[in-house]
Amino acid sequence: MAKTTHQCKKCVLDSATPGISISTDTGLCQFCEHYTPVTSEKKEEYRARMDALLSSPPPQGKYDVIFALSGGIDSSYTLYRLKKEYPRLRILAVQFDNGFISDTALENARKFCDLTKSTYMRLALDQNTLRSTFSKAARSTGAYPGTAKYRASDICNTCISIIKQKIIELAITTKTPFIVFAFSPGQTDAPFVTLTKPFLIWMRKLFEGNLKAMGVTERNAYLINADLIQPGSPGHEVTIIHPFLIWDYDKPEFKKECLRLGWIDPDLKDHNSSNCLLNAFAIKNHLDKYHIHSYAYDLAALVRQGKMKREDAQEKLKVDATDASINEVKQKLNL
Amino acid sequence: MQEPRKDILDFLKTQGFLNEKTVLQDNDSLSETGVIDSITLLQLIDFLEGKYNIQIPVELITPENFDTIAGISQSVMKLRNG
Repeated sequence: MAKTTHQCKKCVLDSATPGISISTDTGLCQFCEHYTPVTSEKKEEYRARMDALLSSPPPQGKYDVIFALSGGIDSSYTLYRLKKEYPRLRILAVQFDNGFISDTALENARKFCDLTKSTYMRLALDQNTLRSTFSKAARSTGAYPGTAKYRASDICNTCISIIKQKIIELAITTKTPFIVFAFSPGQTDAPFVTLTKPFLIWMRKLFEGNLKAMGVTERNAYLINADLIQPGSPGHEVTIIHPFLIWDYDKPEFKKECLRLGWIDPDLKDHNSSNCLLNAFAIKNHLDKYHIHSYAYDLAALVRQGKMKREDAQEKLKVDATDASINEVKQKLNL
Repeated sequence: MQEPRKDILDFLKTQGFLNEKTVLQDNDSLSETGVIDSITLLQLIDFLEGKYNIQIPVELITPENFDTIAGISQSVMKLRNG
C-alpha cells in the first residue's frame, strides 16, 4: 500500500521528501514549527549597516562592489536597485558563462550593465572541462552530503560554488571590499558574511572535497588561489552582502519594472530560472537521485516568510518531464 | 549554566537535517559528515548569539572552534565566561 504523504499546512514541504517531518499535532513541518520572523528592529539594523557600508565604501581599488550577475530577473533587478540607491558605487558585474546561459540572459546582463553604468565582465572557464564537471555532478550521488542537498541540485551546487570561489578570488586580487549576490531569503539566512582567511580556507577545503567525491581531477581552476588566503598573506577584508534579505520587495512588481526597463523574459519552460538552460535538467536529475526537489526548501522558506503565495510555490515545484531542454542538456553532457 | 551541547544538537535536528537516528560524536567533523554547510554554520552562529546573548567574533569562526560539537560548546562557554 502506498504510504500517505502530508504537506505542511503553511509551506510546501511534504513528508515524501526525505528528512522532512510533518507534526501530527500542528500539521507543520519542522521548519515552520520553529520559525521566528526577523523583527522590524533587526531589519532596520541590517538596513542601516548596508547603508553605512555602501554609501561610503573604502576607496581601496578600482571597484567598490563585485556583483554576481546572471542576467536572470533577480540579479538584474538587484543591480538596478543597488545603483539607484547607491549611485556612487563603482560596480564590476561578473557574469559566469557556464556554457548554458540563454542568449536573452547574456543580452539582459549587457543591457542592465549599460543602464547602471557598471563594468561588465564575462567569466569563462574551459567549456569542455566545465561540461565534464557538470556531467560528473549529474552522475554523482552524495558528493554534497546533508544540508547542501536541500539547498540546490548537485549541478547547481557545483556551479554556484565555482562562482563564489572565483568571485572571492577576484575581490581579493582587485582589492574590492564588497561582493553582492542576489540570493533570495530562501537561499541564505545571513545578510552579511565577513570572509576571514580561516573561513575561506575551510570553505575551499570543503568544495575541493565535493569535487574530489565527484571524481573531478582538474580542481584548481575552480578553486580560489590558495596563496591568496594563506595566513599572513597580504589582503583586505571582503564582506558579502545579500540585499534581498534586507530590502522589502514584491517580485511580480519588480519584474514589471524590469520589463519596462528593457529586461527580456527568456520564456523558458523551467519555472525556476530565467537565465540557465541547465536548470530544468539539474532539477530532474536531483529529484531522480534523491527524491528532493532542489527548489522546495528555498520556495518553502519564501512562503513561510510571506514573500510568496503558497499556490505560486506549488506551481513552481511542478516538473515538466517533457521539457525538450532536459534531453538537450543530457546529450550535451553525454549522459 | 545552560549546556550548549544540547542546544546545538536541538538546533541541528530542527533547522539542519540531522536525522534523529544519526549518532554524532562530540568530536566528529560537522562539515565533513555533511551535518552543516557554510549557510547552516552561519545560521547556527546567529542562533547561538541570540540564545546566549554573546557576540561571536569572525576571527573565531575556524574549523578548530566551529566544526565539532565539542569545539562549538567550548567556544560558547568561553565567550559566556568572558
